[in-house]
Amino acid sequence: MSKIKKLLALVMALAMVLSLAACGGSDSSSDTSTDDTTTTEDSTADTEEAADTEEAEDATEETSGDATASGDVISLTVWGAEEDQTLLAELVEGFKEAYADYATFDIQIGVESESTAKDTILTDIEAAADVFAFADDQLADLVNAGALQSFDALNDALVAYTGKSVEDIEAANGAGSVAAATMNDTLYAFPMGGGNNYFLYYDSSVLSEEDVASWDSLLAAAEAAGKQVGMTLSSGWYNASFFIGAGFTTSLNDDGTTSIDWNGTSSLGYTGVDVVKSMLNIASNSAFMAIADGDISNQIASGSLCAAVSGTWDAEAAQAAFGDGYAATKLPTFTCAGDQVQQGCYSGFKLIGVNAYSQNAGSEYLTNEESQTARFEARQLAPTNTNAAANEAVSANIAIAASSAQDVYGVVQSVGGKFWDPTATFGEMIAQQTLDVNDDDAIQAALDELVVGVTAAVD
Amino acid sequence: MNKLKSGVSAVGRFFGDFGHAVADGDIFVKLSLVWFGAGYLGRKQYIKAIIMTALEALIIAYTVLVGIPYISDFGTLGTVQQESVFNPVTMQNEFNDYDNSFMILLFSVITLVVWAFTIYIWMYNVKNVYRLQKDQEHGKHVNNFREDLNDYINQKFYIVLLALPIAGVVIFTVVPLIIMIFVAFTNYDQNHMPPSALFDWVGLDNFINLFGGGGMTVSFGYAFIRVLGWTLVWSFFATLTTYFGGILMALLVNGKTTMWKPMWRVLFMITIAVPQFVSLLLVRNFFADNGIMNTILQNIGLTGFLQDIGLISSNYIPFLTAPGWAHVMIIIINIWIGVPYQMLIANGVLMNIPSEQLESAAIDGANSWQTFWNITMPYVFSVTGPALVTDFVKNINNFNVIYLLTSNFYTTTNQAMANSQAKETDLLVTWLFTLTQDYYNYKMAATIGIVIFVICAVFTLVAFNRVVARTGEGDFA
Amino acid sequence: MKRKYVNIVVKQVVLAVLALIWLVPIIWLVVTSFSAYNGRNTSTFFPSEWSLTQYEKLLTGADTVANFPAWFMNTLIIAIATCVISTLFVLMVAYAFACMDFRGSKGLQNLSVIVNLFPGVLSMIAVYFVLKSVGLTNSHLGLILVYSGSSGLGYLIAKGFFGTVPKALQEAAKLDGASEARCFLQVVLPMSRPIIVYTIISSFLVPWMDFVYAKMILNAGVSSQWTVAIGLYNMLDKSLINTYFGQFCAGGVLISIPISILYIIMQKFYVEGVTGGAVKG
Repeated sequence: MSKIKKLLALVMALAMVLSLAACGGSDSSSDTSTDDTTTTEDSTADTEEAADTEEAEDATEETSGDATASGDVISLTVWGAEEDQTLLAELVEGFKEAYADYATFDIQIGVESESTAKDTILTDIEAAADVFAFADDQLADLVNAGALQSFDALNDALVAYTGKSVEDIEAANGAGSVAAATMNDTLYAFPMGGGNNYFLYYDSSVLSEEDVASWDSLLAAAEAAGKQVGMTLSSGWYNASFFIGAGFTTSLNDDGTTSIDWNGTSSLGYTGVDVVKSMLNIASNSAFMAIADGDISNQIASGSLCAAVSGTWDAEAAQAAFGDGYAATKLPTFTCAGDQVQQGCYSGFKLIGVNAYSQNAGSEYLTNEESQTARFEARQLAPTNTNAAANEAVSANIAIAASSAQDVYGVVQSVGGKFWDPTATFGEMIAQQTLDVNDDDAIQAALDELVVGVTAAVD
Repeated sequence: MNKLKSGVSAVGRFFGDFGHAVADGDIFVKLSLVWFGAGYLGRKQYIKAIIMTALEALIIAYTVLVGIPYISDFGTLGTVQQESVFNPVTMQNEFNDYDNSFMILLFSVITLVVWAFTIYIWMYNVKNVYRLQKDQEHGKHVNNFREDLNDYINQKFYIVLLALPIAGVVIFTVVPLIIMIFVAFTNYDQNHMPPSALFDWVGLDNFINLFGGGGMTVSFGYAFIRVLGWTLVWSFFATLTTYFGGILMALLVNGKTTMWKPMWRVLFMITIAVPQFVSLLLVRNFFADNGIMNTILQNIGLTGFLQDIGLISSNYIPFLTAPGWAHVMIIIINIWIGVPYQMLIANGVLMNIPSEQLESAAIDGANSWQTFWNITMPYVFSVTGPALVTDFVKNINNFNVIYLLTSNFYTTTNQAMANSQAKETDLLVTWLFTLTQDYYNYKMAATIGIVIFVICAVFTLVAFNRVVARTGEGDFA
Repeated sequence: MKRKYVNIVVKQVVLAVLALIWLVPIIWLVVTSFSAYNGRNTSTFFPSEWSLTQYEKLLTGADTVANFPAWFMNTLIIAIATCVISTLFVLMVAYAFACMDFRGSKGLQNLSVIVNLFPGVLSMIAVYFVLKSVGLTNSHLGLILVYSGSSGLGYLIAKGFFGTVPKALQEAAKLDGASEARCFLQVVLPMSRPIIVYTIISSFLVPWMDFVYAKMILNAGVSSQWTVAIGLYNMLDKSLINTYFGQFCAGGVLISIPISILYIIMQKFYVEGVTGGAVKG
């Protein structure tokens, strides 16, 4: 019985992505696992369940004699984003039903936004949830802190409980999302939702399809209409799009540091200075509005924009603001050293991981096909599961379509924790025009300083 | 200085008495060096003997079971790195018997505190027992247990009063502080986070880094100087503006010719009654680049005017998002938050101004400005001068105002600052908070914390000596 | 005479203008809470459509983001417990230092001044692990202990006030055979109503204001366990602010009303207590 908990967390993660964890007895030598997930003893299971659980134990070749299943309650804690809470509650109910044969569950759902999950988890890993959602840029830090359970190690158990192997899960999801959840050749999490990139929302009653093809025509048309185009520059996630488009790269090293080449010359032959000049030209256009990080929804809603760079989460706001003109497409091209260069983007993935300190793993359920579709309906997150993505209702969605169109130009965001502050500052410098577009030396110096900050050792 | 001397002599006396007791004590006194209860047993104070013996047993049990195992690792902060093996049968990661550096530090500190307490009790106990011996020798009455208890609601009542509060302070303030002071001398950061990794002693490396001497690619020295500078500027202005603002407002509200005094007082007080996380977060949205204030100013054309005269380059006023603007706005918003509070205090002080002074000034024909400068201010200053010093220290550590107004809101354009995770509007204390919350850089945070303490301590000592000497107020502490 | 009349009017006008400046953000808080629009209203000061929906949602539509009734009860319970412990601690320490003469008194007071010079946020992580070692993280009890445990350090104002209670009364009581404890409970405390009320209210308010420790200790992410402060603070998260700003304002108004009333009550006692206490040190 006790084994089931971690597997259940895994199956649950797998179920959220696939999440099931066997609640192990505290038989490991220095088990410091959380107090708050201790199994409660109020027995509610009936004898039928006991029989079923025995089967389950057989399936995992149980040999330790520490538990009989009947009456045991498996406590699991699950963390997901605010906006997923209702959905999570439904999934958890489904999960309880699907695995009622194995145990009785006491599943607590907590709120922890994917983007800040790392902050809470690393403060005290042992107190973190058994199964939690997080954004893929946190993977390296979480793995290095020993917070994530390797799923490869759980493979056998997974097969026994769900009939799916880790390979099956990997095959069922896009290669990019699997890569984002893999580190040191080990799968540490299940992709829960993809499409976490950004593209261009626009008002087709103001802008034509030709207008939105390039920043030059876009800004000119916006100016003619007396409206503005909004984009967040003061965040590395957004401003990297120009550098990615020009062929620059970032990569994440195993020690958690980031490599970045923005101060050099890209594979496409552009220099970092070229890109910065293009950005400065765009930012200095009076039809361009540099928007503070996180403020874009509000700006879309305020109605002064005719186009904005954002992601699927703003679909509702954009639809409300642009009405019948609501449209979305890939990002425009920008003029770089005289060429038209397609703006790239970072593709982020929402991942579901299992706490390595959990006595109970299991997250498969949360990420299987059914739940991905449900998540999509609730939150308009593009699914990573290939079957789900083929679903017509999904691709018909304007935002998802634009997201997929942009995804072609996207790269997996492989950056560490030291990437964000220096790039945010760099973007803010461009937004506030503190760099002179004609001063190549100053731009180069700023890029060099940026690289120093981003590549700094983790401390 | 006198305070120091008397402190030293008090400690000296304590040890002197102890030596005396050990030298002159009888067998029971000497025995109680080893067995706490022995002395009481010898005077037939059985209950006390049992209590002291039980206390000693408890301390010994703690020392053997918890103290020694942890404190023996204190020198290395642990050597066994965590390793985990996944056990497919139990579906769990099984860990080796690894060391957790933070727990070693935590329990070592607790053990040190327990031992310090034990030594104090040990010496106090011997002296006490020796006093009993003397009493008996001189044929004085030896207290029975009930009489001893009675002492605790009389001359020893302070022990009853202070025991729990001091225990609380030790557990929730002193022990954590000592731990963090130790952390400043370790490499406890994201690469060395227990439980999966160990951290270790590094001597003064963190201080060298902070003061710019380290070979780090990202030097904290640059950011530190700037953050420190703004911290001091901020504390100076925040303290003075609210202090004088409060007095002026109190004078205005309490003036003889003011009508509806209680109404005004209540109106101004509403700002302090709204919790800061509500009022400040609200104000920051109020003054956002695209917030309501900017909309209004654009509509009345002020923004355009400022643009024309070249004061701003953007089509909004960057109240809280550009250096300079943000610094001034933060101090202004702090006036908004702080003045009503100071007004409350000034109200009380003003009511107590000796009226004969004011009357005699009026008879001498002084106008209201003269009265204010020559009578009111000196009086108010003499009463609240020491509070001015504590306010300054409070503002150095004023986390709420800066954090709520700028976190996730102000983006620096200074790359060197950004590379040290600081921004121009940060105080040392908010920088420290960011380092711990977002970067787990506990070692630098602890180092900064010690620097803050030193600044506050030096300032307090100097200022108190001056202010206290001038105002003639006694010992503020 | 005429000049004096002008003077009075000018004074009232200045006060009125100041009061307006002081109240503008508060007025904005109140009017926004009555807006039908969920997000931040950045185009007009007053909402374009008035409505009670923010209050309705906040009070009845408990979801995982907004669970105001539960937060309010949690905070109330924590506040009452904190208030009882803190008040006892503060008064006990203040009496010991103000009215009793014992060896080490000065030394302890100096130590408390030194401890107060360290920034509080520094030791948060250590406080967390101290609590964790006794299994009290993620519990209201743990939070109560954090709020009230160190409250003894805030004895200064009360000590100043106790210092003003005439020594003669205490000595007279002792001559009549009263113990020190009796003297504390039956002579000094009854004469210290202002400072007791002040201490009670100020310690009661701590849990309503703190969002830093609460967020750290109640870390299970279960929003029904939160206090009002974390809950409202969380509503302004980047991804939530455009849906919950109206409810944030409504919540802000709802907790500000009782706190304002307490402050107005406290003000009277505070002035009495402080004039007798803090400023005399």
